[in-house]
Amino acid sequence: MRQNNVSAIIDLNEPSDALLPLTQFRPVGTLPFAGRYRLIDFPLSAISNAGIRDVGMFMPRSARSVQDHVRSGDAWNLDSIRGGIFTFPYVANKDYSDPANRRRYFDDYLTFLRKSDSSYTIVIGARNVDNINVQEVQQFHVEGNNPITVLYKRQLPDKVNANEEALNISDAGDVTTIMKASEITPDPVNHMVPMHMGVYFLRTSLLIDLLQNASQREEFIRLPEILHEALEVYNANGYEYTGFYANINTIKRYFDANMAMLDEANYQALLFSQREIYTKNLNEIPTFFSKGSDVNTSLLGTGCRIEGQANHSVIFRRVIIDRSAKVENSIIMQGSKIGPGSKLNYVILDKGVVIGPHLTIEGTPEKPIIFEKNMSVLRASDIKKGVQH
Amino acid sequence: MSTEMLAMILAGGQGSRLGKLTKSTAKPAVPFGGRYRIIDFALSNCFNSGVNTVGVVTQYQPLELNAHIQNGASWGLDEKNAGVTVLQPFASREGEKWFQGTAHAIYQNIDYIDLYQPKYILILSGDHIYKMDYEAMFNYHKAKKAALTVGVLPVSMEEATRFGIMNTDETERIIEFEEKPKKPKSNLASMGIYIFNWPTLKKYLVDSYSTDGKMEDFGKDVIPAYLSHNEPTYAYAFHGYWKDVGTIQSLWQANMEFLEPNNELNIGDREWRIYSKNDALPPMYVTKSAKVNNSMVVDGCYVAGDIEHTILSQNVKVGTGTVIKDSMVMPNAVIGKDVTIDHAIIGERAIIGDGASVIGTEDDIAVVGFQEVLGKEVEDE
Repeated sequence: MRQNNVSAIIDLNEPSDALLPLTQFRPVGTLPFAGRYRLIDFPLSAISNAGIRDVGMFMPRSARSVQDHVRSGDAWNLDSIRGGIFTFPYVANKDYSDPANRRRYFDDYLTFLRKSDSSYTIVIGARNVDNINVQEVQQFHVEGNNPITVLYKRQLPDKVNANEEALNISDAGDVTTIMKASEITPDPVNHMVPMHMGVYFLRTSLLIDLLQNASQREEFIRLPEILHEALEVYNANGYEYTGFYANINTIKRYFDANMAMLDEANYQALLFSQREIYTKNLNEIPTFFSKGSDVNTSLLGTGCRIEGQANHSVIFRRVIIDRSAKVENSIIMQGSKIGPGSKLNYVILDKGVVIGPHLTIEGTPEKPIIFEKNMSVLRASDIKKGVQH
Repeated sequence: MSTEMLAMILAGGQGSRLGKLTKSTAKPAVPFGGRYRIIDFALSNCFNSGVNTVGVVTQYQPLELNAHIQNGASWGLDEKNAGVTVLQPFASREGEKWFQGTAHAIYQNIDYIDLYQPKYILILSGDHIYKMDYEAMFNYHKAKKAALTVGVLPVSMEEATRFGIMNTDETERIIEFEEKPKKPKSNLASMGIYIFNWPTLKKYLVDSYSTDGKMEDFGKDVIPAYLSHNEPTYAYAFHGYWKDVGTIQSLWQANMEFLEPNNELNIGDREWRIYSKNDALPPMYVTKSAKVNNSMVVDGCYVAGDIEHTILSQNVKVGTGTVIKDSMVMPNAVIGKDVTIDHAIIGERAIIGDGASVIGTEDDIAVVGFQEVLGKEVEDE
């Protein structure tokens, strides 16, 4: 198969306000996940595993963390002599009443797509935790009746928020509209709702047409809305994704998805699948568990020093849990330190947070307490610096 | 192309004293410390010392070593007009170029070295665990206007009987070399690390192989020749952790020392990092039933058993009810349920079936070889 048969567009401009303060300096796509990943590893790995080598990355406002993580794309085999990762600077909050800005927005997409010379394009975000088989999606698309394929995951209504997007699927199996989850009648048999994953697969020529038409219009319309509209005009094939899935759009989702990885079945299914999840490789020393440490049901990155306790927690690289400290039901990001005797339960520490000695910080499963990047919490009065949504 | 000093890492040794662990791999490719292979130390030292052109001389079972080194990018050794080259014996019009000894291996690779026209050549061995600034030794070599500088390690007088010992005068010039002396006159043990002025060494080698061909080994032949010809030869003393891991016992010992939080090697020092080529694996998973104490664990590991004073390397699986003590488990080993492992080295990709025992003692470390299968099949978790 020709390598440039399919190209990919990853749009990192995704709503992130509900994930503050974790997304203050990073897009949803570079949120750390499961002890060693960033969310963007999932789409990049899916793309890489399908042999796709042309990737257009449309950068978010804060692009530094993306550049730092993705670099040349070599971790995903995307640094080959043909194709590779093409990045496009942030444009989303420009003034689009200015025709020059508008032209620029469409030109970026059109230039990338024309240069890729691909037959098909997958448009994907970076906020999903999943492991998509893009080749299977392509096959499904080729066999389908509609010019667009859209991906969905069936979920129980109590697992989703009423306002999240779901697909309306006709009796014939065509996706006709995108609606709020609360407006969709659950399947009478399995009681589930087909949730919109925000992933589209279509002919590159059609996508070029859609973008060109949109560029002629009076009002400005972005790619996600263009695709949404096109889906309702043409109808779409609905591809059901059945693997592990989490749409990281709130703190609660982020927390739950990390905790879900502590369930061995999920960990094995998502991370030890035939389709590997790749990430930037780092030279880090082994994690040291000292005498008297006590770790259970936890994921850990390398370079940690564990002297105290960790239970049911996700612990990233280079974390120090000092003697007699106890971390439970928490997410501790890279380089954070927990002082001796401190107790954390339902807490999210962003990178480089320092927790002093003998502090007790207790959130709830519904509302974990979040401490921003590089924050110091040295005495009891500092605990109120934590954010709870 | 030219480079001031080029390094040659001698990585062709069979490491026969490592027995089953080197049956199908060269000693420098033997895993160490959970995330490393032995040669990572020499390669990282090169990068950290600013030596950016490195030839790795291989001979015995080089497949794994080749796969590990690739283009050298993992050690930052993939610069343009520099970087790592893996050198294999090859046939030419003069016949096949198998290496008869350390100096002969350099002679056989003169063409490679001359590509870079170095003024100096640094000879390293690929089977030592240490962190050393070769630039400091290089500066010493230049300051002494030496033709040869030998890296030496001060050892105790008792140990000196087991090493090649350099006897020096008050200016640190080497006046005598004794191999494993019964009554050592000095405690400066050769580390097998040399800096030569390349044109001089080349002349010695070429002259020798155009006549009697006696320059096979640096210790046995070249150093004595340099001394008898009064070439300025100096000893550069290295102070710090240095371990030859040529035997099962010393490999186990070095791994156990690596576990010590205040180990002199100081692997966590971010100013002198040891790099390696590793796959990006999932984070380690420590289950509800696991107990991990005084141990090192790395990514890709799945731990459901009791781990005490042990190193688990990448992608090692340990089942429930299993107890591992005072041991080193190499990458991709799969250890079933209710297994007992004590004072052992478990080789790469070994499979230890449910209920099996691997028991050694401090003086007699048990070894399970590369891809060796022990006991009955492991049930899937």
